[in-house]
Amino acid sequence: MTLLERDPQAPTAWRGNLPVTSRYTYGLAGEKFFRTLKDEGKIMGTVCNNCGRTYVPATAFCERCLSELTEWVDVGLVGELHTFTRLFVDYDGNPLDEPELVGFIGFGDGGLIHKLEADPDTLEIGKKMEAVLKPKSKRTGSILDIEHFKPAK
Amino acid sequence: MSERVAIVGIGWSGFRPGTPDVSYKEMIYEAAVRAYNDAGVDPRKDVQSFVTVAEDFHEGTSIFDEYTPDQLGAAMKSMHTITGDGLHGLATAVMLIRTGRFDVVAVEGHSKASNILTPDAITAYAQDPVLNRPLRLNTHFVAGMEMNRYLYESGADADACAGVVSKNRRNALKNPLASFAADFSPDEVLGGPSLAWPLGMHETAKSADGAVVMVLASEKTSASLTDNPIWIAGIGWCNDSPSLESRAWAKLPYIEKSARMAFQQAGIKNPFGEIDFAEIDDTYAYKELQSLEALGVCGFGQAGALLKDGVLDPAGEFPVNVSGGSLGVGHLLDATGLHRALEAALQLRGEAGAHQLKDVHVGLVQSWRGVPTTSGAVAVLTN
Ligand SMILES: [Zn+2]
Repeated sequence: MTLLERDPQAPTAWRGNLPVTSRYTYGLAGEKFFRTLKDEGKIMGTVCNNCGRTYVPATAFCERCLSELTEWVDVGLVGELHTFTRLFVDYDGNPLDEPELVGFIGFGDGGLIHKLEADPDTLEIGKKMEAVLKPKSKRTGSILDIEHFKPAK
Repeated sequence: MSERVAIVGIGWSGFRPGTPDVSYKEMIYEAAVRAYNDAGVDPRKDVQSFVTVAEDFHEGTSIFDEYTPDQLGAAMKSMHTITGDGLHGLATAVMLIRTGRFDVVAVEGHSKASNILTPDAITAYAQDPVLNRPLRLNTHFVAGMEMNRYLYESGADADACAGVVSKNRRNALKNPLASFAADFSPDEVLGGPSLAWPLGMHETAKSADGAVVMVLASEKTSASLTDNPIWIAGIGWCNDSPSLESRAWAKLPYIEKSARMAFQQAGIKNPFGEIDFAEIDDTYAYKELQSLEALGVCGFGQAGALLKDGVLDPAGEFPVNVSGGSLGVGHLLDATGLHRALEAALQLRGEAGAHQLKDVHVGLVQSWRGVPTTSGAVAVLTN
């Protein structure tokens, strides 16, 4: 039982939408991280000596103790698969013809979320995964400069 | 400031998978009228402050807090809207009363999920725009990855997660407010389509529409309003780092900390022994097990065994989501935490109807804001 009764013949609803476009500045640490990825093909982190933690991707400050982080380290292109999933729906929720493999690849005390190219049956937590970069001429300074991660040899 | 805060009025509208017949304002109005009637208060005269929870993108309206006063009787009154879960709203109302400045405060949360035609785009828009969103991944990937790591570290298995779905949707058969009640075996759950392996479609709560309003009062004022106050004995909340790159993937440290905060206020040292039942997060089936462990109801990796042994069933030693939870009732977006508090209040009043538990005095409520967040809250209610 409802307090409110509706005329079933009433008009239904109005539709509206909002086209939103934003610019997201990378910040000081983000610019250096993506510039190094683009120009030198390296994944960089920053170290908090106070907490003994290495942030990957590099950040300008430690989220634990709020120290400013100025010590940069190259963490290499091979990390450890911390967890992964096989995604059966696309960005908008529609079923995918071919499921996508996605993982979190640990570097230092952080890591990167990215797509994986691998046989799902052989993939397991703890596996060493290597970043596959786009050719230098195609890199623009974004997370997409990494094409995907593949099992390391 | 030691005065206790009581829930003295509860009201709701719904819950249904779709509500094409009413606007969100009319839904809230219906819930509010019921809550004020239940509490025996006049919102224009007796309620001194109002707190609502809402998220602009769920509403499809910018600066949505401008749209919240009228349907509550809150125009020209002290009020504000927070972008949080219903339990955050409840916590805020408790604090308002404990300032000593307000005696009666109303809290509102609602879901008009059926009006959201692009829900996946909204959760995707909550991903980090620089590090994650360019990959164009459906945000359920965060749940799939969390579940995978949780199973890996805890030793819980897919059968236990499927068992959560089966239990909660079966529990929902006795709850007239539930939209997704079903007699659904764990095998049927596991036989369903995948969403973000190891997470299945059937292990993911579907959304529902509805509104919940609660009237809270100081201990002194509550005595004149009701013979059946439900006490908010403890309430805590916490956020972890939102970043996918630095959060914990197997455990829920922000729920652990929220629980410690609420339990300390309520004087609870042994949650399993001192709490009679719980209404907690089951947005995804594995979350119920993971949350129980974070709440300290059992040790890490032990919730699956509790489920399989029937301890979490309505007739078990520690019933969880007797209402049907979000899997059985439907997920009510920002109102989810308030819905769980509503179910706990009904149980503690002895008004839960066909799913009423016998002899309950302490209820545990917990909520999470969903992927990709690390935002949670916990409350302990007593009668
Ligand atoms: Zn530090």
